[in-house]
Amino acid sequence: MTAADLALALTALACLGLRLAGVWLAGGLTSEHPAIAWATAVAQATLAAFVTLAIVAPAGALAEVPLAARLAGLAVGIAACLAMHRRMLPALMAGLAAMVVVRALL
Amino acid sequence: MAATFLAFGAAVREAGLSPGWALLACWGIYGMPGQLVLVQAAATGWAGGIGAAVMGAVAVNARFLPMAVSLTPVLSARRRRALLPAVPFIAVTPWAAAMRALPAVDRPARVSWFIGFGLTSWVVAGAASLSGFYVAGALGADARAALLFVNPLYYALLLAADLDRPAPRRAVLCGAAAASLAFVLPASIALLAAGLAGGTVAFLLGRGHDGR
Repeated sequence: MTAADLALALTALACLGLRLAGVWLAGGLTSEHPAIAWATAVAQATLAAFVTLAIVAPAGALAEVPLAARLAGLAVGIAACLAMHRRMLPALMAGLAAMVVVRALL
Repeated sequence: MAATFLAFGAAVREAGLSPGWALLACWGIYGMPGQLVLVQAAATGWAGGIGAAVMGAVAVNARFLPMAVSLTPVLSARRRRALLPAVPFIAVTPWAAAMRALPAVDRPARVSWFIGFGLTSWVVAGAASLSGFYVAGALGADARAALLFVNPLYYALLLAADLDRPAPRRAVLCGAAAASLAFVLPASIALLAAGLAGGTVAFLLGRGHDGR
């Protein structure tokens, strides 16, 4: 078993455990319970940290794209998202287009 | 959803992993943020060991717990055990669809509805990530970079759309600020540390705020 396979198996098991725990705890816990609020906050904060690192300091082919182009894509994407009543797909496309255009200009 | 799985397939190829791994990650983990954390760790050669990567992936998918808590009463199965086949499908897309649609579905039919929806989105997710894997192989470097930008951008947009509600706003801002831990900690541990520290600070700030 390679490292990647082992990591996948462990993560899959742990995620299944989280889901099972939620099903078993339901009824005993309300969605306002502090443990639930904490789990939600940790998940959102981890995702925010992941996204920040993936945009500011990516690895691989994305690292070849200048930081300015990545940030332009992010800014245009967010602006489009807010302007278009949070429709994700058009906002995503606008952000990607901005990244490609700024990259070509630089 | 399909776009994120398509981009995931491309990221798996970029990290030098197999298409089979991409498929098993989609079906076994079935939570894109966790899948992305693992692929990122693989791309850096599991520099900090697989333990930190797995814990980071689990932390970023910790929302499965509150999702399952809020979904279970809506599924309204007479016995808990009847829910077991539905458990692997508790993930963002089926959960959001179920919370919207299930109240209008007859109670005895709800678990089957959820499993049907979950299976369909599993198949779509698997097919999309395999397509992403093979499409990425045929693309030039520029197009591949754009495809790899899809997931960070998509999740950034999702988080940004949440910024007008106080609890997510605190968590997102604390998490993004805590990402600077990456400058002082090894990359492998930084994500987990940032998530735990940022999430806990956000949670405590929220408690303080509610208590006032």
